[in-house]
Amino acid sequence: MRQGIQGEMIRSELEEVVGQDFISVEKTDLLVYSTDWSWMPQMWLDRGQPLMPPDYIVHPGSPQEISDIMEIANKYRIPVIPFGGGSGTQGGALSVFGGIMLDLKRLDKIIEIDEQSLTVTAEAGLILSQLEWTLNERGLTLPHYPASANCATLGGCIAPRGTGTISTKYGKAEDMVLSLEVVLPTGEIIHTPPVPQHASGPDFFRLFMGSEGTLGIITKVTMQLDYLPESRLLRALLFEDLNDALEAGRRIMTRRLDPFVIRLYDPDSTRSRVRKILGYELEGAYMVIGFDGDPDIAALQERKALEIASELNATDLGREPGEKWWEHRYDFYYPPQSLKLPWMYGTTETVTTYDKITNLYWSEKRAVEETYADWNVKFIGHFSHWFHWGVMLYCRFIIEEPPEDAEEALRLHNRIWNTAMTAVLENGGMINEHHGVGLKLSRYMRRQYGDAWPFMLKLKKTIDPNGIMNPGKVGFGF
Amino acid sequence: MIENVIETTENCRYCLMCRHVCPVGHVTRKETLTPHGWGLTIASVRRGMLEIDEKVAEVIYSCADCGTCRANCVTDQPLPSAIGAMRAEIAEKGLAPQGAYDVHEKLQEWQNPYAQQAPDLASGQGEVALFVGDDARYLNQSTLEAALLLLQAVGVRPVLVGIGRNNGYLPSSLGFPNTAAQLIQITLDELTSCGASTLLLLTPGDYYAFGQMREERLGLALPDGLTLQEVIPYLAEQQGAGNLNFRKTDEQAPYAYVDPTHSVRVTTRYDAPRQLLAALMPKPGLELFWRRERAHPLGQGALQYTNSHIATHLNYARLADALERGAQLLVTEDPAGLAQMERFAGRFRLRVQGLYELLAGQLA
Repeated sequence: MRQGIQGEMIRSELEEVVGQDFISVEKTDLLVYSTDWSWMPQMWLDRGQPLMPPDYIVHPGSPQEISDIMEIANKYRIPVIPFGGGSGTQGGALSVFGGIMLDLKRLDKIIEIDEQSLTVTAEAGLILSQLEWTLNERGLTLPHYPASANCATLGGCIAPRGTGTISTKYGKAEDMVLSLEVVLPTGEIIHTPPVPQHASGPDFFRLFMGSEGTLGIITKVTMQLDYLPESRLLRALLFEDLNDALEAGRRIMTRRLDPFVIRLYDPDSTRSRVRKILGYELEGAYMVIGFDGDPDIAALQERKALEIASELNATDLGREPGEKWWEHRYDFYYPPQSLKLPWMYGTTETVTTYDKITNLYWSEKRAVEETYADWNVKFIGHFSHWFHWGVMLYCRFIIEEPPEDAEEALRLHNRIWNTAMTAVLENGGMINEHHGVGLKLSRYMRRQYGDAWPFMLKLKKTIDPNGIMNPGKVGFGF
Repeated sequence: MIENVIETTENCRYCLMCRHVCPVGHVTRKETLTPHGWGLTIASVRRGMLEIDEKVAEVIYSCADCGTCRANCVTDQPLPSAIGAMRAEIAEKGLAPQGAYDVHEKLQEWQNPYAQQAPDLASGQGEVALFVGDDARYLNQSTLEAALLLLQAVGVRPVLVGIGRNNGYLPSSLGFPNTAAQLIQITLDELTSCGASTLLLLTPGDYYAFGQMREERLGLALPDGLTLQEVIPYLAEQQGAGNLNFRKTDEQAPYAYVDPTHSVRVTTRYDAPRQLLAALMPKPGLELFWRRERAHPLGQGALQYTNSHIATHLNYARLADALERGAQLLVTEDPAGLAQMERFAGRFRLRVQGLYELLAGQLA
């Protein structure tokens, strides 16, 4: 908590807004809320080093309370950091300058499920899995299945433009949004138009998707739903050559065969992660492909896709390895099966067009592996979110024996990221596809946006004149 | 001791994969009061970043010890046992909430938290014994009477053991493993004395205490040849085989079955109570949102003595869940759970009925 008269005045004013049960300055809370799911703070704490905690943890119960908190934050020029599930991997929820941590999980009501239009309107602090259970009881689904579904909140999926396992058919989280309620940094509560597809002016609501709380706080959202599919056909394929596998994926997508998933593991991932989690000892590039919906249509799509795969020398491993992957797709993220400390790791996911993807993959892999060979770095990847024009590459670097000293470890981590991001940017990639920018990638935003970056800075200044919203993230300062 | 569970807290401290099912996280919405928060708090104590004091104790004593996190963990991390070990360390330092020491004193003296009365002796000799415990003895005696009627209907006349004695879970959960071990051992010795080879258990909580908890937290062995059997699944088996028949009730109110606290720790039991209810209720039951493998606990157990505010909210949450689903009548078999629900059901305009009593009243 901030010291002195000012510190207690802020605390008292916040308490007046939310009530004393919903504000904390206890050291136990400050410690837990000082980290999120990203490697940096976890490593820091793991080495016994304290992190910069928030000054206050506040649990608002309504958009109006958030608006009132904004007034206090602007008055005292104190940062506000929205906190959903804390599952971000880039430090987006870290209170690097202290401030007011706004845990949004009290905003967890489902307001309406419209079974005619197939939409749901819900508050932004609702945990995805809980929403999904409710929808499933009605034969519906929100087809956004990220690995973080058990902890991520609805707002937390949208704010960093998240992607789920079946995005290849159903789109990213942002593609499912019809409208938003947002509390602006200056305290106004605004509502975007009821539907996204129109010609009534610019799509300003998209500003908030990807803003990661730097331009406002999403408090309510209406999203598109789908019926639970009648059938899901999954199978696995093995390619000797990764390039053939990428070409197969490209042809399947550009011919619009509409798979709900294509998960292509590079040979190193096949050898390590697929073996560890699924138990298959395979050499080559392991691809899981799935089609869903009407059984007849799905079967036809699958047959056409298999013809393409066959032309590119794929071995059909059958249904069982595909279905097993689907059943265990989140098991990769449960410790001790997941990557965990004291290892060093980072996920440098990127996206680019098909003409650049092969070169980008090899360039990044070579750059990281060659530069950090002394650290015995491993670089593995998979391609998992496919578009008509390109594909996402999800890479991970892993060092099993990193420096013990926290500062030295972070320095090395940052250098590896720098090497990887330089390779990505020089080869036409984006600095990420779905994990968000957070703190970790903040310094690359200027390079990523080039001549458009000053425009972004002007937007930020206009919307958040005091720079209180989640400072240090998405390239914006304090 | 805490050294034995460090691997668990190291795994759980940054894992968020059971965040969605934690009942305490659900009612408080506070990150500190979730499996990840408890794991990180314990790990931080170990790293010297937090000292064990009353604030840390308050956090560690806010877990409901219900097992829902573990039941939903792909890698089966025994976090509740790790929290139990941490509580033992806190209790030994004299820093546990006062309620924990008060209850412990009663458990040491009377073997139950409810009455200043020692347990009754076992009711005789026999191959099949039924553990009565303290909840059925002091909170809802009709549970036992009804269960005995039902067992008699299928030809089982058990010896009663542990009449008025806690099953060991409460002291274990409060951080007093030695007392927990003593209570369980007394019952096991009683079983040996009366020659029982089968121990019937009225609730999933009892089943967990004498099964997994006994072995995992306390390192106690069952007497050779002793098997555990929960009564409700046994009755369902008998009903399925045609050995137990019921008359249909004329109950017309929409009803829901409430999976008792600890149900998630006995994953094979979910269908049994529902099957029995279907045999006598005229209409299918409603299902609560928090059911089966994600069933949330009621505010019983250690939490009611160490953080009654959260315990009360667990009760509210279950009753609100029932209300939202359109239920007017709630049915469950755990006497402690029944007592908790009966305390607050009126506020929600809900009725509560014991499953054993309901079944016994409809015996054909």
